[in-house]
Amino acid sequence: MVSSHPMIELRRLHRFFGDTRAVNDISFEVPRGEVFGYIGPNGAGKTTSMRILATLELPTYGDAYVDGFSVVNDPDRVRRRLGFMPDFYGTYANVNCLEYLDFFARAHGLVGRERHRALQYTMSFTKLDELAEKPIRGLSKGMKQRLCLGRAMIHDPAVLILDEPAAGLDPRARIELRVMIRELAANGKSILVSSHILTELAEMCDRVGIIERGELLATGSVDDIQREQRTHREVKMRVLENAPAAAEWLRRREGITHVLEDGALLKFSHIGEREDEAALLRELILADFAVAEFASHSRSLEDVFMQVTKGRVQ
Amino acid sequence: MSAADPYATNAPANERLERLTHSHWFERLELFLERASERLNPILVKEARQAMKSRQFVITFTLVLVCGWGWSLMGVALMREEIYYSPGGPFMLIGYYFVIAAPLLVVVPFAAFRSLAGEIEDGTFELLSITALSSRQIITGKPGMPFCRCSCTTRRCRHVAFTYLLRGIDIITIVLILSYTFLASLLFAMVGLLVATLSTNRAWQVLFSVLLLLALLAGTGWWSVFVWAMLFSTPPLDQWEFWISNVAVITFYVSYFVMGLFAASGLISFASDNRSTRLRWVMLAQQALIVGWLLYATLEGREIVGLFFASGISAVHWSIMGSLLIGESAQLSPRVRRSLPQSFAGRMLLTWFNPGSGTGYVFMASSFGAATWVIVVSGLLSMLTPFSNRINNWDWLWFSLASWCYVIIYLGCARLLFLMLKPYYYVGLLFTFLITVLLTAAGAALPFFLQLWLAESGRPEYSLLQTYNWIWSLYEIGDGNSWAYPWLLPILMLSAACVFLLNLFFAVKEIEQVRLTTPERVVQDERELHPERFVEKKQATPWDEVD
Repeated sequence: MVSSHPMIELRRLHRFFGDTRAVNDISFEVPRGEVFGYIGPNGAGKTTSMRILATLELPTYGDAYVDGFSVVNDPDRVRRRLGFMPDFYGTYANVNCLEYLDFFARAHGLVGRERHRALQYTMSFTKLDELAEKPIRGLSKGMKQRLCLGRAMIHDPAVLILDEPAAGLDPRARIELRVMIRELAANGKSILVSSHILTELAEMCDRVGIIERGELLATGSVDDIQREQRTHREVKMRVLENAPAAAEWLRRREGITHVLEDGALLKFSHIGEREDEAALLRELILADFAVAEFASHSRSLEDVFMQVTKGRVQ
Repeated sequence: MSAADPYATNAPANERLERLTHSHWFERLELFLERASERLNPILVKEARQAMKSRQFVITFTLVLVCGWGWSLMGVALMREEIYYSPGGPFMLIGYYFVIAAPLLVVVPFAAFRSLAGEIEDGTFELLSITALSSRQIITGKPGMPFCRCSCTTRRCRHVAFTYLLRGIDIITIVLILSYTFLASLLFAMVGLLVATLSTNRAWQVLFSVLLLLALLAGTGWWSVFVWAMLFSTPPLDQWEFWISNVAVITFYVSYFVMGLFAASGLISFASDNRSTRLRWVMLAQQALIVGWLLYATLEGREIVGLFFASGISAVHWSIMGSLLIGESAQLSPRVRRSLPQSFAGRMLLTWFNPGSGTGYVFMASSFGAATWVIVVSGLLSMLTPFSNRINNWDWLWFSLASWCYVIIYLGCARLLFLMLKPYYYVGLLFTFLITVLLTAAGAALPFFLQLWLAESGRPEYSLLQTYNWIWSLYEIGDGNSWAYPWLLPILMLSAACVFLLNLFFAVKEIEQVRLTTPERVVQDERELHPERFVEKKQATPWDEVD
């Protein structure tokens, strides 16, 4: 049965450690099949709120819900629906990959054919088939990360919480992980993923939330946040002649700043939407400037992140 | 499983999994064993796999075997030809006992402790705790493997059977010693697990491991003395009192083992879980065992001392348990409140089993009170029987009542202190335990030293000042001097009543807690998980109540 409520919901979540407000009044929702990126500097409260969702900690105030079940009052029901991948591997000595996953399948109450199918699917999905009999201590970082993802998804949970899954991975492993996460989301799983590698998140997440000092500063798609923050768009323009006059013309316009002149190439910042850029280009042509090139790019997630956060620590 | 069945893929299976589906008899046997293993605790299966690949197993196994053989050769060499006609069985068995005692009484409990403490330190415990495994399964799975491993190892030590062929020992003594040693090993392992759950801090864990090791060595030494005594003093196997006392020991063993299991699993369970109610039931069972067995011994042996023991041990039992109960938090999570008793009778009788400082105090006072009245009624009944010859004075009665009053007074004061400090400081179970110890120590020591200071002559006399000095007062009562202090019991009973009522007043909020409705989402999920529980009840008669 498909549930009507959000798969992940944080309602006015607070978590204090003495005077430190690790999580301070955070609320957001993640619907089914969405990948939600959780971005923030170290000590922002990402891991704490993820641990609360994973029923490892209690909130000081507020509550969090997974598939409509409170993490405080129904942790056992939440655990059946949730897979958590912390920022450490959590492996055992003298155990190979298959035995490791088999243990967690048993621990999740999978028996018989169901357990075998779960193992088969997970090993195939994480591409660990060839490494089934390999001891865990001999695995590379990327392989271990895949194994841990396998552990988190062995009981086919509807919600996955992944804390820094791409940390320390080489580019190839990162891309593989990104593909896996997108595939899981396509299978209907709701995924909350935190990362410091912001370009990664921008590519794999449907929406992101920016958190700093325990407070959620912005949520939405990267474009939405950008719009919300009224960010500047960087524009590059090449004119065939009369570049100084064009620069002067631009400087007199409202909403245009930081005009730089580099021969025939002009660079400036422009506040506004794409429609405003089109209007500006039209006006430039009507003003008889021979525009040979006009390109703009929105700010990257990293730029947005730097703008939204202040680098404060508590 | 989610709507899109992920297992319906044509993903290539790994070799081993494919092999399992083949029809070769050995593989079918393997499949059967694997299916059978699904009924076992998953932690046991995981640890068995780990153990099979560890060097520790080989070393322990070899050592026990070598030591067993070594002792056989050495023992036979020492006894020489005497082995044919002198009772050398106990001598040989004590050697074999020491060979198996080290792995069973030290290695198994310490391995269980390290296994759980290691999981907590490495963070893998967190991964376990969010699976479908209950905290009790995690606890019981931990000593399982070291125990199985040592059992395998010691079973290999077949030399024990050799002692049966020698003179001076019988099979019952051998079985008793081995069985009790196995039980002691399990109990020690439970203590180890309980210690492992006390703290997640690495520094504390290091300290605990040193203390536990020392305690295990001391426990092994103490146990060895008991085994030595049993071997060389010939237990009265033909007397039924011996077997009755064995049954008594087993019942106490089971109750304390279960208490350790519940306490350890409570400590690692989720914070909003009810950790207290089950423990309170075990405390009640232990109280019943204490009173039951001691009254049995009293009535059977016609010895008045049994009544004193029943009251004294009950007082110690409730002082320790009560000092921890009064430190509980009174805040009930909505999860706990969903299962609170609803009916009038249920609320009246079962509210005291709910977690909380106030309910804990009343539970302690009323349980100990019930035990005291059982002792009193049994004592009085035994005095009425014509064949009662030793229970002929009333000291036991005053002793029982005074013990009850002292526990109520001291724990009540400790709880009031706890309530005063709670808004300002973090105070928990350890605090109330320490406060109770300090209060009871001060209650006995201060009046005594005051009396000593006031006394003009060298020897202080018992006086009104010593009313709350529980050691001296109970000694005077036990010594048969209670008639000389007629004011003692009335003052104690009045004080106990005041302290109890004052504590009851502060427990009102806890008593007022009512059941919360289970959220619709939870009911819906429960209906999907266990449809059999939601079968509509039909009215068979007009008087039937239908939900």
